[in-house]
Amino acid sequence: MTIATRSSVVDAVTAVDTTFGTVFEQIDSWRAAIERHVGARHGAVTVADIDEVVEALVVPGLSAANALIIGAGFVASPGFISDAEWHLAWWLGHANTFGVGSADPALRRLEAEEDPSSESFRDYTTLEWWRVPAATDAPHITGPYVDYLCTDDYTLTLTVPVMYDGRMIGVAGADLYVNDIERTLLPHVRAIGSTATVINASRRVVVSTDPHRPTGAILRPDDAAEQIACGQTSLVLVLG
Amino acid sequence: MPQSIRSTTAARAAVFAPVAGGGRAELVAQRLTDAIELGLLSHGERLPSETEMARQFGVATVTTREALEALRELGLVETRRGRDGGSFVIAEGSRTARIDRRVKALSRVELRDMGVYYSAIAAMAAELAADRSTPDDIQHLHATIDATDASAETSSRRGEGTFRLEVAALSQSARLVREELRLQAEFAPLLWLCLREETHRVRSREAHLAVVAAIEDFDGERARRLTVAHIAGAIEWLLDAKAELERRG
Repeated sequence: MTIATRSSVVDAVTAVDTTFGTVFEQIDSWRAAIERHVGARHGAVTVADIDEVVEALVVPGLSAANALIIGAGFVASPGFISDAEWHLAWWLGHANTFGVGSADPALRRLEAEEDPSSESFRDYTTLEWWRVPAATDAPHITGPYVDYLCTDDYTLTLTVPVMYDGRMIGVAGADLYVNDIERTLLPHVRAIGSTATVINASRRVVVSTDPHRPTGAILRPDDAAEQIACGQTSLVLVLG
Repeated sequence: MPQSIRSTTAARAAVFAPVAGGGRAELVAQRLTDAIELGLLSHGERLPSETEMARQFGVATVTTREALEALRELGLVETRRGRDGGSFVIAEGSRTARIDRRVKALSRVELRDMGVYYSAIAAMAAELAADRSTPDDIQHLHATIDATDASAETSSRRGEGTFRLEVAALSQSARLVREELRLQAEFAPLLWLCLREETHRVRSREAHLAVVAAIEDFDGERARRLTVAHIAGAIEWLLDAKAELERRG
């Protein structure tokens, strides 16, 4: 491999790390702010209280032009909030067309079903973006997956556990469209000049230069292919 | 003289507030259906004319006409001609009675066609899922099946919907998922009418387990075949039930 291609590999890895790292930094600042707030209240928090705090944190980012984040917020551990067993404090950005079917929807609150007896209720603690951070106490990238709860589209969800008094009280997170990620990363990956594929921790294809490796497919392990971890993310660049 | 719509309360006013976005006819129909289910619009009440409703909803007249057509099919509205005519709310009878009315109102051709279309979506989703699922996804499908109580009808209905939606999501196709959701809203109460019987609830659970096993084996062809057979079985049951309803008159 020539030096030029090596530097293009480094560039692609950096692009992946920076793209996701920037979003994680943002989420982590929300996590810290929520933890400070909950700490100041000695763990006694109401729906109105948490909604006010989360809205002030996430809405500015969702309002920005060309924002990569299309939905963001905080999802509480069942039983943590004093006046709601289940609670999602989640906002959807202008680019998010979930539930409105309009090309230019307003920034708005996600109206999730929080009543467990309802037919459309979904127990979010069984979902990957909840389960993995809850099990590992670490940030996690879920997807690409079709998110029928918050975006109705092909999505990546980044979540970070939020802690109080040594236990997880919820996750802070953000949704990204896979379309946008493809547009952002593909030029960098293509510059490598040979077959290159970014996969997630489950070996699911995020973006590939090979048109026969569709996003969402599982890339079977191949010993001949070189694998490079993309910085702090759990994503891997596969060459060949 | 039939009572006409008056926006006496905020809740009632909201029923006829403008609707935004695509699929406007569905949105209008949904708004009216919800209002009837919630009792905001009562039995025998006359709805505003198509033109008046179009003005209030901020949509084209053809859209309200389409919405009313959907409500007529659901047995929630009847339209009478003449001087005292118009569209009137039907809110009497139980959910079961309403569904039975709808089964009788639809022709055999329509019911079969509904099955064919739904089958095309659900079977393609199952086939793709077999190629694109991780062990974690398989475990999640098993959890969905385990969470369903085959001895209870409500749990089985919800379980059927959740399982199909999860499989559609595993296809990694946003369009298939959206279509699955749309078809569930439109057909599910009819299509899975067989879940009224415990034998079929147990059979449904077995069918789901078989589909998951096929997905686990990366056998898309088998996942597709099992899904088609399961849906075809539900349609056959529905057609028999329709024949029985027609015999009883």
